[in-house]
Amino acid sequence: MGLDPASLRLDQQLLQFMDQLEILEEKRQKLNTLIEEGWFNISKARYSMGNKHVSALQYASDMEPLVHVYESQTEKGDVEFKCVRTEDKAEELRESDTVETIGPTEGGLRRRVNVKKKENKEEKDTSKDECEKDPQFNSTSEKSPCRHQDPLKWFGILVPQNLKQAQTAFKEVITLAAEISTLQSAIVKTRLEMQSQMKDKQKIVSELKE
Amino acid sequence: MAGRGKLIAVIGDEDTCTGFLLGGIGELNKNRKPNFLVVEKDTSVTEIEETFKSFLTRNDIGIILINQFIAEMIRHAIDAHMQSIPAVLEIPSKEHPYDSSKDSILRRAKGMFSADDFR
Repeated sequence: MGLDPASLRLDQQLLQFMDQLEILEEKRQKLNTLIEEGWFNISKARYSMGNKHVSALQYASDMEPLVHVYESQTEKGDVEFKCVRTEDKAEELRESDTVETIGPTEGGLRRRVNVKKKENKEEKDTSKDECEKDPQFNSTSEKSPCRHQDPLKWFGILVPQNLKQAQTAFKEVITLAAEISTLQSAIVKTRLEMQSQMKDKQKIVSELKE
Repeated sequence: MAGRGKLIAVIGDEDTCTGFLLGGIGELNKNRKPNFLVVEKDTSVTEIEETFKSFLTRNDIGIILINQFIAEMIRHAIDAHMQSIPAVLEIPSKEHPYDSSKDSILRRAKGMFSADDFR
C-alpha cells in the first residue's frame, strides 16, 4: 500500500540530488578556471616584480580579515554559507578620513594665526567654522581604530596590474567557495535523507513479502 | 546574520595562499596564530595534520580550503570530519589539477549508489 508514495519520494529526491550534483560540477569548473586565472596573474606579477617580491615573505605582520562567512541553518536542516566583505565599508571610511583630517587641521592653524589680526566679525565666522568642523575632527578619531589594509600593499605601492587582476579573481573564488560549501552541505543532507528513505522502503518491501 | 562572521582558512602551496590572502581572508589573532598554512617542500605531514585539526577545533573558522594533493596526505583526518561546520573544500593546486573522484564529499555521494547503502 505504502510502496508507491515511498518510491515517488525517493525518485524526487534522487532527481534533486542529481540537480545538486550538476550545479556543483558547474561551480567547480568555474572555481577551477578562476583559480587558474589567479595563479597565472600571480606568476606574471612575479615575472615583472622579481621572484622574492611575490612570496610568503611579503605577508604583513598584522592581518585583519576583509571577508567573513556567516552560516545559517535552513529549514531543511542544511547549512548555508554567506560571504560578506568588509573591505568596501573600510575603504569608504578611509576615504572620508583623509578628507576630514586634512581639512580641519589646516583651518585650525589659520584661525590661531589670524585671531590677533582679524576683526571681531571674522572671529565670529571662524567660531562658526570651528563648531562645524570640530565634530568632524572628533569623528575621525573615533573611526581611526578601524584600519583595514589592502593586502595588495604588502607587495608594494605601485604593484603591477596583474597582481590586481589576481586579487579580483581570488575575491570571486572566495565567494564561489562559500556557494560550493553550501551546496556540499545540501548534498550531504540529501544523501542522508535518501539513505533513511531507502531503509523505510526496504522495510515496506519486506513487510509486503511476509 | 547575527553575531560575528567566521573566517576562511587555507592550507595550500605558496601561490594558493598568496592568492587567497590577496582576496582578504588572512588573519593573525591575538595569539599570533594565522588562519593559513603555507605548505612547502619541507613541511611535514604531521604539521599539516595538526594544523588541520587545530582549524577544526577553532570555532571562529567556517570554511577550510585545502589543496587536493595536501588533502590526499591527510585523507583519514578529512574523512573523519563529518560535521558541516567548518566545511572542508578541496581545491586544485598549480601542479595537481582537481580530480573529483578523490574529493571526499563526492566520494560520499558516489557511495550512495554502492551495495553498502542497500544493506
